[in-house]
Amino acid sequence: MENLIANFNYVIVVILMMIGLWSMLAQKNLIKKCIGMAIFQTGIILFFISIGAKDNALIPILTEAANHAYPDPDVAKIANPLTQILMLTAIVVGVATLGVGLALAQKIYQQHSSFDEDEILENQRK
Amino acid sequence: MTEHLPIIIILGPLLGAVLAAFTAWFRPRLSHPLVVVGLAISFAAALKLVFIVADAGAQKYWLGGWGEKVIPGQKEPFVVGIQITVDYLNTLLLVAVSGIALLTSVYTKRLVDTELAGRQRYFYALFSLLVTGLLGITITGDIFNLYVFMEIAALSSYALIAYGRGRAYMAAFNYLIMGTMGACLYLLGVGFIFAKSGTLNIDDVSAIIPELGQSKALFVGFVLILLGAWAKMAFFPFHGWLPNAYAHAPTASAAILAPLATKVATYAMLRVMVTVYSIDYIIGSPGIQSLALYLSTFAIVVASFFSLTQTNLKKLASYFVLSEIGYMVGGAWLANKPGLTGAMVHIVADAAMTSALFMAIGCIVYRLGQAQLDDLKGVFFKMPVTMAAFVVTMAALIGVPPTCGFFSKWYLIQGAAQAGVWHFVAALLLSSLVKAIILFRIIEIGYNRVPHPAIEGNPAIPRNEAPLSMLIPTAAMALGLIALGLGTSTLVNTIIAKALPAALAP
Repeated sequence: MENLIANFNYVIVVILMMIGLWSMLAQKNLIKKCIGMAIFQTGIILFFISIGAKDNALIPILTEAANHAYPDPDVAKIANPLTQILMLTAIVVGVATLGVGLALAQKIYQQHSSFDEDEILENQRK
Repeated sequence: MTEHLPIIIILGPLLGAVLAAFTAWFRPRLSHPLVVVGLAISFAAALKLVFIVADAGAQKYWLGGWGEKVIPGQKEPFVVGIQITVDYLNTLLLVAVSGIALLTSVYTKRLVDTELAGRQRYFYALFSLLVTGLLGITITGDIFNLYVFMEIAALSSYALIAYGRGRAYMAAFNYLIMGTMGACLYLLGVGFIFAKSGTLNIDDVSAIIPELGQSKALFVGFVLILLGAWAKMAFFPFHGWLPNAYAHAPTASAAILAPLATKVATYAMLRVMVTVYSIDYIIGSPGIQSLALYLSTFAIVVASFFSLTQTNLKKLASYFVLSEIGYMVGGAWLANKPGLTGAMVHIVADAAMTSALFMAIGCIVYRLGQAQLDDLKGVFFKMPVTMAAFVVTMAALIGVPPTCGFFSKWYLIQGAAQAGVWHFVAALLLSSLVKAIILFRIIEIGYNRVPHPAIEGNPAIPRNEAPLSMLIPTAAMALGLIALGLGTSTLVNTIIAKALPAALAP
């Protein structure tokens, strides 16, 4: 239990990802599938951000001035900038995917006047 | 100049795509030649690199010159940039991807003009972007960069499939959900590796993982990456999206997606298995190994049975793609020398075979308008060259010597026998049998359900081949299958044997 409280960020990440995954796979409504996709991606983004975060961390900038101020910086005290940069890319990818997904959903709605997967499949069988 | 060849492979199609998208606004006719030129540059660079790699070993390139830096006070240099690598494992696949893309870009021109008349404007920009993504996945030496290229390829393939309209929208949407899930699981796995090892560079990760020893986080990361790659490559049980997506996509889109997209995802799995983690790691986790082998057997058997019931040629071919994925995953998970060799040969061979198959189907669709099996009556008299290419391709898929399909299957069966995985051997043989049945059924429909023109009193069926710009690539690809088969032993000895991990038992 103590372990769970100490790592509550990971618990939230797992809950978010499970909500997203369930919504992507089990929901019949195409828009809800898209929402699930976005939640799933948000969970992963939070996961990455939280593995890079540290308490009372220094800013990871190496300049001449910073070298003078902290001549021998303790690497363990510097925040890891890489995860945030990676997630900037992942957010861009996520937005693009969501855009394509919604565009497809819109096209499907124009054809079938419905977002319901079962109804669409029924329509296609006719 | 030669040291920049690795990046030129990606830049060719990337610039081609950007320029094609721009020219599509004011001069749409210009976009196709631009894309062809971009792909030709990429193909030439990839071909040159094969010889360089065969001579001098792996070529590494640091993007933007951001290579290894030495921090004052630290002894070891550490990696700051993104690396791209051409080594024994991916050099052949780079040639296969860029070569097939080049041939297909020439081949699809007429098909696009008729099938997508009036809305083909952005087709070649997307086409080129897809190839950029696929080449990027193959060449990159950075596990996060691989994710980005995976999504570049995936996003353009959703759009290419949705070009088919009608049912294609729903097929593309299902692919999007499945593909995004796969990519996200992959990304999560990358997160686990990064958290443990602190680096994303494949060489660095593979050096650090053995030092970390047994770690649950690394194991979970491996499983997540594996699941992601399986969803991307439509491996059983994640295969549901593929047949509909490829059957309802325009024939021109299917001709580029079917041969390359799943094969490159399989390569990504192989890269993670062989280079990022080591082969010892796989042998050390027998639970997943036997699970993967059983799933491969199921993939082959299920796809074979479903292919028997299909009446549409495009859907039939999509089920062939599914069963071939079972071959490659199974071969890789045998984790012995012939099995891995077979998987590596089969990735290249299957890309060529599937490409030839979809090209022949495209020619048939171009002339007959559709591809129901019942429409094929008399097609052997009408399109003899196309059907000759089709029969050669089917022979390669069945595994008739001297086509390339025989040799890769030979390695796979050898590997499975060595590992004692008899259910996989049985599945391989069953799949060949099913493909032979389907070939003979098509021959029966195409030859025999019409009166033979040589018999007196029967009107001759006029020859009506597809245009030369489609026929020549189809015939070239089919002949290439035989050439690839004859060259298999050379390729295995000079390149593929060196890609195998040294620790592997013979």
